[in-house]
Amino acid sequence: MKRRGRTLFVASFLAPAVAVYGLFVCWPVLQAFQFSMFRWKGISENKTFVGLENFQRLVEDKFFWQALEHNLWIVGVGGSITMALALAISHALQDQSRFTRFLRGTYLFPHIVSMVVVAILWMFVYNPSIGLLTQSIQKMGFSDFNVTWLADPKTALPAVSAAFVWYAIGFYVMLFAAGLKAISKDVEEAAELDGARGLRKFWRVTWPLLWSVKRVAVIHFIISALNIFALVFLMTDGGPDRKTEVMLTYLYEQAFENSQYGYSTALAVANFAIVMALSAFVMFVFRKDPTGARA
Amino acid sequence: MNVRKARRRKSPSGVEAVTALVGRAFVVLFALTVLLPFLWVIYTSFKSGHEITSSPWGIPATLRWENFSNAWQKASIGQYFLNSFLVTVATLAILIPIGAMAAYVLARYPFRGSQILYGTFLSGMMFPIFLTIVPLFFLMNDLGLMDTLTGLVAVYVAFSLPFTVFVLTGFFQTLPDDLAEAAMIDGCGDARVFWKVMLPLARPGLVVVGIFNAIGLWNEYSLALVLIPSEENRTLPLGIANLVMVQHYQSDWGALFAGLVIVMIPVMVLYWLFRDKIHETMLAGAIKG
Repeated sequence: MKRRGRTLFVASFLAPAVAVYGLFVCWPVLQAFQFSMFRWKGISENKTFVGLENFQRLVEDKFFWQALEHNLWIVGVGGSITMALALAISHALQDQSRFTRFLRGTYLFPHIVSMVVVAILWMFVYNPSIGLLTQSIQKMGFSDFNVTWLADPKTALPAVSAAFVWYAIGFYVMLFAAGLKAISKDVEEAAELDGARGLRKFWRVTWPLLWSVKRVAVIHFIISALNIFALVFLMTDGGPDRKTEVMLTYLYEQAFENSQYGYSTALAVANFAIVMALSAFVMFVFRKDPTGARA
Repeated sequence: MNVRKARRRKSPSGVEAVTALVGRAFVVLFALTVLLPFLWVIYTSFKSGHEITSSPWGIPATLRWENFSNAWQKASIGQYFLNSFLVTVATLAILIPIGAMAAYVLARYPFRGSQILYGTFLSGMMFPIFLTIVPLFFLMNDLGLMDTLTGLVAVYVAFSLPFTVFVLTGFFQTLPDDLAEAAMIDGCGDARVFWKVMLPLARPGLVVVGIFNAIGLWNEYSLALVLIPSEENRTLPLGIANLVMVQHYQSDWGALFAGLVIVMIPVMVLYWLFRDKIHETMLAGAIKG
C-alpha cells in the first residue's frame, strides 16, 4: 500500500514537467531530425522524403559555407580578443575591495540586458550620421572621416564582432575571476617565495592552473558564437551582400522568408552537429590537465 | 602564517607598482566602455529628436519626460510592456512549481531510470532554440497556439525547465534529511512534506531561479519573433526591435530611446540587487553546460 502510494507520488510530481518538456522540447527535437530529410514547403500533401538530399544541397550551398566562415571568424578573432581581455581584466581585479566588486558587477550589464538592446545600442554607435563612433572621430579633427561601418562590406563583420565581444566579455571575466580565486593562495605564495613573480609567475603557475576554466570558457564561446542570431539579424540582417551572414540568419531566411522548411531544418541539424563536433574537439585538445587536478 | 609575514615584508618593486597602476587604469577604462553607452541611452531618452540628430553626445537642454509618454502610448510600448509582464509572470507561476516538484523527486526519490530522466532534462540546456524552431512553428500552428501569449508561455516554460530543474535538484540534494524524516514520522505524506517542509526550506533557491529566469524571459527575442507575428501580442523586445525599423521613417528618436530605457531598466535593477547570487548561478550553469 505504502509502496504504491509512493509510486503514485513520484509519477504525479514528475508528470507536469515531463509533459510540457516532452511536448515542446523533446518532440520538436526529434521532429527536427525527421524534417531534415524531407522536401517540404509547409503544405502537408507536398511533403516528400528525400533522404540526405537536403544535406547534400547544403554542402554545395556556397552561402552556407560563407555563413559558417563568418561564424568561425567570430570564434577565432572575436574569441581570442575576448579571452585575452577577459583574462587581463580578471587578473587585474583580484582583490576583494568594494571598488573592484563594483567594477566586476558592471561588466555583466551587457550580458543581462536583452540582445535587442545591445544590437540597437551598437547600431547607434555605428550610425553614419548620428553615430557616436563616426562623430567622435570627426570631433578629434578628422572631419572628412566617414565610414559607414555596417554598410561597408570590409568593415561590417568586424563591426558586428566588436559588438559581440562587448556583449560577451563580462561573462568570461566572471568565469576567470572564479578560476583565479580557486587557485590556492598557498600555491601562489610558494611560487613567489621561489622567486617567480610578475609575468613569469603568471605563465608558469597561474596559466596552467586555470586549465579547466579555460576549457569551459572556450567551449562556451564556441557555442554562443555559432548560435549568434538576434545581434546580426537586427544590426545588418546578414548584409551588406551577405558579408555578415551567419548560419542562423541564413536559416531564418530559408525557413520564414523562403518557406524552405525541410532545407532550413537540415541547416539547423548541421549547425547543431558543428557545435557538438567543435566542442568535442576542444574537449579532446584540453583532455590532459597538466596539473593533474580533476576538472 | 609565516608565509603571510614573508609576503608582507617584501616591498613591491617599482616595476610591480607600475604594472598594478596600468592594470587599474585598464580595468576602469573597460568599465567605462561598458557603462558609458548605457548612460548615453538614459540621458538621450530625455532629449528632443532634433537634439539627438544635431549633437548626439550633447546633454539634454530640458528633461523631456514626454518622450516616455509618447513611447508608452503612441509607440505602444505600454501594450508591449503589459504583454511581456504577463508572459514573464505566467511563465514563472507555472515553471517554478512544476520545476520544483520534478527536481524534488529527482533529487530525493531515486528510481530506476531517474538518472536517465535527469539527463534528458539537462540535455535541454545543450539544444539550441533554432534546432527546434521549424518543428515548433508547425506544432504551435497545429495546436492553435500560434500567435497567442498562452502558447508563448507554454514554450517558455518548456525551454526554461532544464536550467530550473538543474539548479533546484542541486538545491534539494543539499537539504538535510532529518526534517523530512521527522515530518514523516509525524504522519505527513510525501506530498505534504514537500509543500509544508521542503519547499519553504528551498525558498532561497526558488528566488534565485525565479530572478534568473525572469531576466531571461523578459529579454527573450528569437522564439517570440517566430511565434508572435501579430502586433498586439508583441513582447517588449519585439516591439522595440520593430520601433527601430519604423523610426527610420518617422524619426521620433526620443521615444525610441525612452523605449530602450523601459526595456533595460527593470533587468538592470533586478540584476544589481541580486548580482552575487546571479553570478553564482551563471557559473554553476556554465560549468555544467
